[in-house]
Amino acid sequence: MSKLASNEYYDLVRTTNWTPRYVDEAELFPEMMSGARGIPAEAWETFDEPYKVTYSDYVATQREKDAGAYSVKAALERANYIDSADPGWVSTLQAHYGALAVAEFAAATAEARMARFSRAPGNRNMATFGMLDEMRHGQIQLFFPHEHTKRSRQWDWAHKAMHTNEWAAVAARHMFDDMMFTRDSVSVAIMLTFAFETGFTNMQFLGLAADAAEAGDHTFASLISSIQTDESRHAQQGGPVLKILIENGKKDEAQKMIDVIFWRAWKLFSVLTGPILDYYTPLEHRKQSFKEFMQEWIIGQFERQLNDLGLDLPWYWDEFVRALDETHHGMHMGVWFWRPTVWWNPAAGASPEEREWLESKYPGWNATFGRCWDVITENLQKGREELTLPETLPTICNMCNLPVVGTPGDGWNVKDYQLVHEGRLYHFGSEVDRWCFEQDPARYQGHMSVVDRFLAGEIQPQNLAGALLYMSLNPGEIGVDAHNYAWAGVGKQSHAAE
Amino acid sequence: MAIFPLSSNFEGDFVIQLVVVDDASTMDEVAATCAVHSVNRRVAPQPGKVMRVRRHSTGEVYPRDMQVKSAGLLPTETIDVIFSDI
Repeated sequence: MSKLASNEYYDLVRTTNWTPRYVDEAELFPEMMSGARGIPAEAWETFDEPYKVTYSDYVATQREKDAGAYSVKAALERANYIDSADPGWVSTLQAHYGALAVAEFAAATAEARMARFSRAPGNRNMATFGMLDEMRHGQIQLFFPHEHTKRSRQWDWAHKAMHTNEWAAVAARHMFDDMMFTRDSVSVAIMLTFAFETGFTNMQFLGLAADAAEAGDHTFASLISSIQTDESRHAQQGGPVLKILIENGKKDEAQKMIDVIFWRAWKLFSVLTGPILDYYTPLEHRKQSFKEFMQEWIIGQFERQLNDLGLDLPWYWDEFVRALDETHHGMHMGVWFWRPTVWWNPAAGASPEEREWLESKYPGWNATFGRCWDVITENLQKGREELTLPETLPTICNMCNLPVVGTPGDGWNVKDYQLVHEGRLYHFGSEVDRWCFEQDPARYQGHMSVVDRFLAGEIQPQNLAGALLYMSLNPGEIGVDAHNYAWAGVGKQSHAAE
Repeated sequence: MAIFPLSSNFEGDFVIQLVVVDDASTMDEVAATCAVHSVNRRVAPQPGKVMRVRRHSTGEVYPRDMQVKSAGLLPTETIDVIFSDI
């Protein structure tokens, strides 16, 4: 029996905008879920995905990808790479898995929204594959760390993190919920696939894969490279949706969605990826600085994609470029100082050699962030570890749910962008965070940050022990310095946080 | 006498932090409470200087003996604590 080439039938079989007989169009595609915005069905039918794949091709390719990643894992499992890996790299893996594995599994729901409710048949087809992609990403990123649970309970946070009130998990969930679970299918296509996946997952998966290969962690490098091949395919759903919106007079609405979620994604990556690339990855294995990765993958590529679609750079672009020298350094110091409240062991990355590297990549680092590390280092050298641990909470931004940080030392510029809305005082870490809130206050105003919950008496007892209990962080899980302060010139074993 | 939460933006530090004071506290006492969480932790002390409190949103420097309850601050509002000669 002859078999048609896929390009001979693809367009025909995915033209599935059939005329319903038992329900009307509005019941089949409720506006709340579809988000067609009054654009007619014929216009949505012009959706033209740049990457076309059939189900049989998809399954065959995915099987090969899984076989590749799983066989690398199996081959290297007995080498016990993790046991000899730098503790900073181990922390990188634990932070990555906890922040992303379950979130990726959840992303299947967002893809499913497009698969069911998009008015564009091509979008529905691609999203079906995207949904399967995200299930794979959830499963594989839970399975790979599972072999390490015998080494430390922190590895169990690959599964546990997103089910807790740990502050970083709250921040991640707030952003993912905003982007994936509470939007119509058109918004998901733009915010999740275009702005987040096109813009940022390259950073996490390709940037980190480069460092993983350098660090000799071929299991992790092959895993995340495998994931990224899926991301780069299903991320292409946003472009055609944007094209249709722009052609139908909805450019401003599309632009605003991109502007909101791009900033939100940037803030999340500033606390997740920034510290990993510039502080946790051992110095000799760093391919590029976080800023250099951002300049290449975000400023270069994303800017070009916006241009190609006829969209503008987000209105805050200059501030975003400026913040590349600042935000993640503050986020890193916050994570390290409040290290008992995370599920990994943060690497300080502030030895003399590492500080030299930071100064070369971020001129002025020593006179700003370095000033704080000077005090911390001296405290450790003089045996005053208690002064390097927190006795209060940081003020949390009511948009990104991350600490309000800025540049310390000689360039001190820390600012809180406050707003009183309906009698409640909100705190924001930047003008853009506040702007995001102001675009849709009803969406965000009910949320309580971890500090709001503390002040409302939800965290008991009202001290660090109570906070750890609230965040489900148990002994053996709470973070300590990854290198036991060797970077500061001391060899002291520390379990004070426990 | 009632507890009053504030957000401390301490000169030279990298982060704003929650502090809880008494609303009868003077601004000097507030500055001292804020210093506990910044000075000698991430900010070097500045001997010979005094620490003054100012409203973050307006830059208004409060009198050193003014009580919190007289300053017109909202709960959790951010204050700057700055090193000053006077």
